[in-house]
Amino acid sequence: MPRFLLRRLLHTIFVVWGVVTAVFFLVRLTGDPTALLVDPSATQAEIAHMRHLLGLDRPWHVQYVDFLFAMLRGDFGQSIQQRRPAMQLVLEHLWPATVELAVAATVLSTLLAIPLGIAAATHQNRAPDHLSRLASLFLQSMPSFWLGLVLILVFAVQLNGLLPAYGAGTWRHLILPAVTLAAAPLAQNVRLLRAGLLDILPQDYIRTARAKGLPERLILYRHAIWNTAIPFLTVTGLSVGFMLSGAIVIETVFSWPGLGRLIVQAIPGRDFPVIQAGVFVFALIFVLVNLAVDLLYAVVDPRVRLS
Amino acid sequence: MILGKRCGVRSLALLALAIPLCASPAHPAADAEGELIVALPDDTTNMDPRIGMGSIRSTYIRQVYESLVDVDARGKPVPGLALSWKAVSPLAWEFALRPGVTFHNGEAFNADTVLFNLDRMFRRNLDRWGIKEVPAGTSFEKAFPFVTRWERVNDLTVRIHTSDPSPTLWDFIGREPLVPKDYTIKNGVEAVNDRAIGTGPWKLVEWKRKDSMRLERNSAYWGVQPQFARLRLQVIPEAGARVAALRAGQVGLVDAVPPLDATVLARDPALKVVSSPQKLHCRLYLNGRLKDAFDSGGRDGLFTDSRVRLALNLAINRDAIIKKVFHGYALANVSPVSSVSSGYTAQEPYPYDIARAKAMLAEAGWRDRGRGVLEKDGAPLALQLLFPSKHYGQAFDEVTLAVAEMLKGLGVPVTIRPIDFATLLQTVTKGTLPYDGGFTSCRTSNNLDADDYLRDWTALSLINWTPYPPELLELYKATRRELDPRKRLALLADLQRNVRDWAPIVSLYQEIKIYAHSPRVVNFTPLTELNMDFRGVALTK
Repeated sequence: MPRFLLRRLLHTIFVVWGVVTAVFFLVRLTGDPTALLVDPSATQAEIAHMRHLLGLDRPWHVQYVDFLFAMLRGDFGQSIQQRRPAMQLVLEHLWPATVELAVAATVLSTLLAIPLGIAAATHQNRAPDHLSRLASLFLQSMPSFWLGLVLILVFAVQLNGLLPAYGAGTWRHLILPAVTLAAAPLAQNVRLLRAGLLDILPQDYIRTARAKGLPERLILYRHAIWNTAIPFLTVTGLSVGFMLSGAIVIETVFSWPGLGRLIVQAIPGRDFPVIQAGVFVFALIFVLVNLAVDLLYAVVDPRVRLS
Repeated sequence: MILGKRCGVRSLALLALAIPLCASPAHPAADAEGELIVALPDDTTNMDPRIGMGSIRSTYIRQVYESLVDVDARGKPVPGLALSWKAVSPLAWEFALRPGVTFHNGEAFNADTVLFNLDRMFRRNLDRWGIKEVPAGTSFEKAFPFVTRWERVNDLTVRIHTSDPSPTLWDFIGREPLVPKDYTIKNGVEAVNDRAIGTGPWKLVEWKRKDSMRLERNSAYWGVQPQFARLRLQVIPEAGARVAALRAGQVGLVDAVPPLDATVLARDPALKVVSSPQKLHCRLYLNGRLKDAFDSGGRDGLFTDSRVRLALNLAINRDAIIKKVFHGYALANVSPVSSVSSGYTAQEPYPYDIARAKAMLAEAGWRDRGRGVLEKDGAPLALQLLFPSKHYGQAFDEVTLAVAEMLKGLGVPVTIRPIDFATLLQTVTKGTLPYDGGFTSCRTSNNLDADDYLRDWTALSLINWTPYPPELLELYKATRRELDPRKRLALLADLQRNVRDWAPIVSLYQEIKIYAHSPRVVNFTPLTELNMDFRGVALTK
């Protein structure tokens, strides 16, 4: 186990370094932010002065070495657009807004998926199964911006402000964006669980358990469902990673002050420090979530040996 | 602002005296302790006015910071932190400052404040004050190099000297928001941006980036106070969600209502829709530079001949654009100056006349020689149209596509290249616009005078792709020298007529900004400026 963790730690450092290096050069290939900061009537001399002030007139390799040393000190530079420390901006948007939303949506999509997936699998080709498949298809195929706007119109406008239409801060603010964000992963989880259970339920060891007279509930929850856990964990891990790295559409519709909108706005604004800090955090989140998923594999399936 | 109209005061001097006296009485059912939540499509990136004031930033910055020259609802200059201003000689302007004004932290506003701000604007004496230079949108020392020095006449009078006569100095200096001197020196320029302290009607309480800004009424404000206690500028990026929040009663006022939604909301008796022409003037810029003025590959820009640019103007059906795309919420202004700028003169509209446009192209030598395209010297007349998609909004994108189709109707093949705004700016900055290239974009201004627009075709800049010919450059310079207001207005009118005929751009439309609000919001008047003004606005219970 310690060797596994050490190996994964080195792997994490290598992956994060690779990602930030690629991003460092890629964002510079997209162009120069200077023109966005000056008046349209600015002359070449004014633009050159601005580039100098931002340090963008230095050769790329000089900028890169400076960036790496600063990054080791946790300094990702100042946001070009907002003139504040880039990492501070990223962390302000990650916590609590993005984490709150991602956790709520993950809990919702996981907890609801289990009974719905089981109901669909144990009632195959009957009403609960049809209903569950139809609902999954609907939730997965519905664009999230549309679902979000419909929920706002129903719960904020038609029901006289039952829930807030925008913003963050209280559990009431969280409901509509979390439901919207959870919709697609919930549908995916239900389908995954149903398919997994339909594979497992006809197997010999389940038949043996039934022959031994074990109650159906025990068979389902003790013997069947754990064997669907590995693919379920893999998919949930990926969707948690995506949710933590920001849900741009949901953040836009509900005016949720999360990380996704910050980064997406930084890209056309060529705000290099914010993009670099944001991608660093994304890479770290993905690597750590994957590590957590790998560790959980060993918990749910003793055959997996981390060493 | 709103006040000027309500008080009915016409004279600048009288108005200056009248402002503190005209504080309108509280609305009978006013909720003096209420909060107005205003939904905006975006947050400001900065509060330090030196960094930049464009677009939505102005609405945030001007609640807290004020400038020497204020503006009324019709776009006319009125006294702000200066009671009056005048040219005391052909080469000097004097500003008489408003007495008794303090910043939100109690620091006094006086001549020293103005001198310090001038130092920041023109990047002088920064070492002496011990403050850093900030990357600024406008380089005053480069844009206005003729401003030579400034001095304190007394505690409430500042004199600014120029090397050439400058009739618009009151505007480009006077409209710049002013920051406190001692606070900036003590806390650094970062504080001006992060913890803004101004003289304005609202004090900044909390700024959650990309989410909301909370402000409270400045009870020591020198002018008309807002009649409610708290203001929240709430970011709601999606237009549909902004309108839904208004209908749900969760915001009081919505900025940037799409024209189509405005027509629907206007029918709702529970809401009010108000609008005002804005300075945003959208155009098609064409490459009319000579080969030595851009990365040309040895060729002059294809649109150097004004007859070709005029023909393109005649091929645009502006009435159809305004009716179909904007549902009436736009203006067909063919002057290079926004209709709400000081010195604007309405120009004769370009008729939509394809036959005349074709004749004009033929006169310029562009003829179809049987190959289905207009040619001259073996080269085809075509346009590579760059446009910043999703930058100015859906209506702008639709207009660009409509314009491309209209030009095709004239026989000019158009290749549309949607790009992001930063890439467009980079292309025009580097001078790598194709020789047959053009781009659609919008021009706005933080200043009141027409000069800010007419300056566009002087020095080569991002948007100057058709530099003034010598005679127009002379005429422009004359407008910059003339100090007599009446003569200068005549010169500006003459220049606008000439620019209209010379057609450096294909003018498309001028925006009308639309707001919707709850009936609880009383006395809200949209400005012709980029910002919103809540002075005198009340909330009913």
